[in-house]
Amino acid sequence: MKRILIAFLVVAAALSSCTKEDDPVFEKSADERLQEKLAAYQAQLSGAQNGWNGLLVTDSGRGSTHSFYFKFNDQNRVTMLSDFDPVSAATFKESSYRIKALQQPSLLFDTYSYLHVLSDPDDAVNGGITGAGLLSDFEFYFDSDLQDTIKLVGRINGSKMTFTRATQAEADAYNAGQLAAGLYINNILTYFKRLTVGSQLYDVNIDPISRQFIFSWLDGSGNLQTFSTGYYFVLGGIVFTTPFVNGSLTISGFNNITWTPATETINLTINGTAATITGIVVPLKVDTGAPKRWWDYAINNGNSFWISQRGFHVNGVDDAFNIQSLTSGTSTYYFLAYNPEFEPGNDLFAPIFLNAAGTQIVLAYGTAPDTPNFSGGKATFTQLGTYGTYPSTGPAAQSRTLLYNTSGWYFVQTGATTYDMVSAGNGKSWITWEF
Amino acid sequence: MKRIKIIITALSLAILISSCQKDDELGNVDNIPGLGGDTWPQGPIDKWILDTLTVPYNISAKYKWDQSELPLNKILVPPQEDKVIPVLSSITKGWIKPYVDEAGVLFFKNTSPKFFTLVGSASFNSDGSLTLGTAEGGRKVILYDLNNFRIKGMPGYVAADTDRVIRQFWVINHEYAHILDMTIKVPVEFSESSASLYTSDWTNVSPQDALNEGFISQYAISGKEDDWAETVSWMLVNGRGWFDNLVNSINYLGTTPNGTTAAEAKERLRQKEATVVSYFKQAWNIDYYSLQTRSRAAISSLLY
Repeated sequence: MKRILIAFLVVAAALSSCTKEDDPVFEKSADERLQEKLAAYQAQLSGAQNGWNGLLVTDSGRGSTHSFYFKFNDQNRVTMLSDFDPVSAATFKESSYRIKALQQPSLLFDTYSYLHVLSDPDDAVNGGITGAGLLSDFEFYFDSDLQDTIKLVGRINGSKMTFTRATQAEADAYNAGQLAAGLYINNILTYFKRLTVGSQLYDVNIDPISRQFIFSWLDGSGNLQTFSTGYYFVLGGIVFTTPFVNGSLTISGFNNITWTPATETINLTINGTAATITGIVVPLKVDTGAPKRWWDYAINNGNSFWISQRGFHVNGVDDAFNIQSLTSGTSTYYFLAYNPEFEPGNDLFAPIFLNAAGTQIVLAYGTAPDTPNFSGGKATFTQLGTYGTYPSTGPAAQSRTLLYNTSGWYFVQTGATTYDMVSAGNGKSWITWEF
Repeated sequence: MKRIKIIITALSLAILISSCQKDDELGNVDNIPGLGGDTWPQGPIDKWILDTLTVPYNISAKYKWDQSELPLNKILVPPQEDKVIPVLSSITKGWIKPYVDEAGVLFFKNTSPKFFTLVGSASFNSDGSLTLGTAEGGRKVILYDLNNFRIKGMPGYVAADTDRVIRQFWVINHEYAHILDMTIKVPVEFSESSASLYTSDWTNVSPQDALNEGFISQYAISGKEDDWAETVSWMLVNGRGWFDNLVNSINYLGTTPNGTTAAEAKERLRQKEATVVSYFKQAWNIDYYSLQTRSRAAISSLLY
């Protein structure tokens, strides 16, 4: 019985084992299907005659949001806009791309473009992390794909990119520079900016480095409240990644932004209602304790000094006096310093230099302010004397003149050990102090 | 019974022999995507590289992003297209031409590195330093920081850019010196006087301390091969006058912790210079001083 069974099994095996038919699940080979898929993606991307709106969220979708406009052709070339800065939002830049089979069908932007600005490991380019940038990507794999929507995922940092097919009207608006409308807010030169919606007042602040839009307002009992959200620019407006809700007012973005140079006013609409943003000198609530707190902090922490790398920002120009070009002998500019109680009864304000070998900091000259006057929620500086021979012209002299401006300075604490010192005169000059 | 066994055995054998002779065709192998490298419609940059580097010198330059050519642990970006030709053109003038003029095109084709990979950003290291160039196996050179490359006549050129350009030439000449050393070995006299001073802990030796021991740069103290490459490359890019000044600047009193006097340090550098000159003459029949003059003049003309 056992033998018969074995014999039967062997015969069965003999009969069945050699079905030499390959019966693949798919009709075509993996390579052929891949080729078809790559060709289909290529056709889809370059076939969109009005291009694609792109929305990128960096760092696996946890980071900042950036908008783009792409126009692909079938010769591996792409032209692009991005909402990164006023130039990139209005000036098309051409670069190269290719669709390639990596582990998945992937879209690579393979020469430098506005997209790479976010990935650049040089923090001077994008204000990101040195050596890593803003944790963005320029190599993406195709995640899902519909006729008018393509989802892509970055291969290094997992950035999420969504392409939506642009319409003719959108393409026209991009060509007209409408992506830059949100950047009109930088045309207002004052540090503090006031949003007026009906009878409600908000101080607004846009921080391009951290990509945060900040609302400050007074609640019913007169206390200052703040709310910050990520943002990105769209055609003619701004979108907030988290809508701002205050009572019955919900602001998910600004639309129809226009700039009127004569009145230095931004007109916009919120949910269809007209609103304005204008420059102001005095914020809704002045932090009256800040100037003294700033001054005391340096004294209480080793009687050290506050430094500013980039000097004064004046009328929309960073380092307006070009203090970073200052030299003293063979030593080069290192930072501006403010040292409270440098000697009993007087402070020190001076550019600090670095010697040629880069081994020593040098104090060549300085001005000695009296202990500041802290009345009125401001700090006002007056000169008692000088150290060394203080130059009478050039960046150092201009900085000194501005410091002793009789209108004084408001202080805004922006971090545990960072303050912005803002002119109380016209609100258009400020300097950032770091400890 | 025995017959059944035999039948079974025979059947088994037949199965073994016949069963697995499936003719699996390889399929259409020439249809594998990307096999043979990436292709794209050739643009003006591609044509320039082909005409200027590939045809005359058999050198390729990759400017489009290819992660597989680059370290995976670094965040890098591809170069701006408008920097590619200026960088490669300056390399042609400052590195290729002096060698070809001095030693002939055949020598250059035989020995030069063949693959250049171009990167837009610098490579940021965890210790805060920047890498501007690396080389692998004498064949491939990666050049970084192209997006900040500016020479005389380019918008935004400032004196501080000089250093970056000089370093670019230094990297290439450094790697090329390694290749020459690997092709015909440098005589041992070169490193004899410094043999006991080489240290793998070179990052903790200051450039001045290295110079005081008779090394042309900080990196030169890391080992005899790099001492060679550093000596050859820095002398080429900075010129003979610079080297003389450098040697004459060694004027400390007494001895270093290693017991070196200023006179000994000077003597070591002079002896290394002499070995470089005699090696180039004997191994390659090249007049090093003439090459140095051409090289320095070519680089200066790009910068000043």
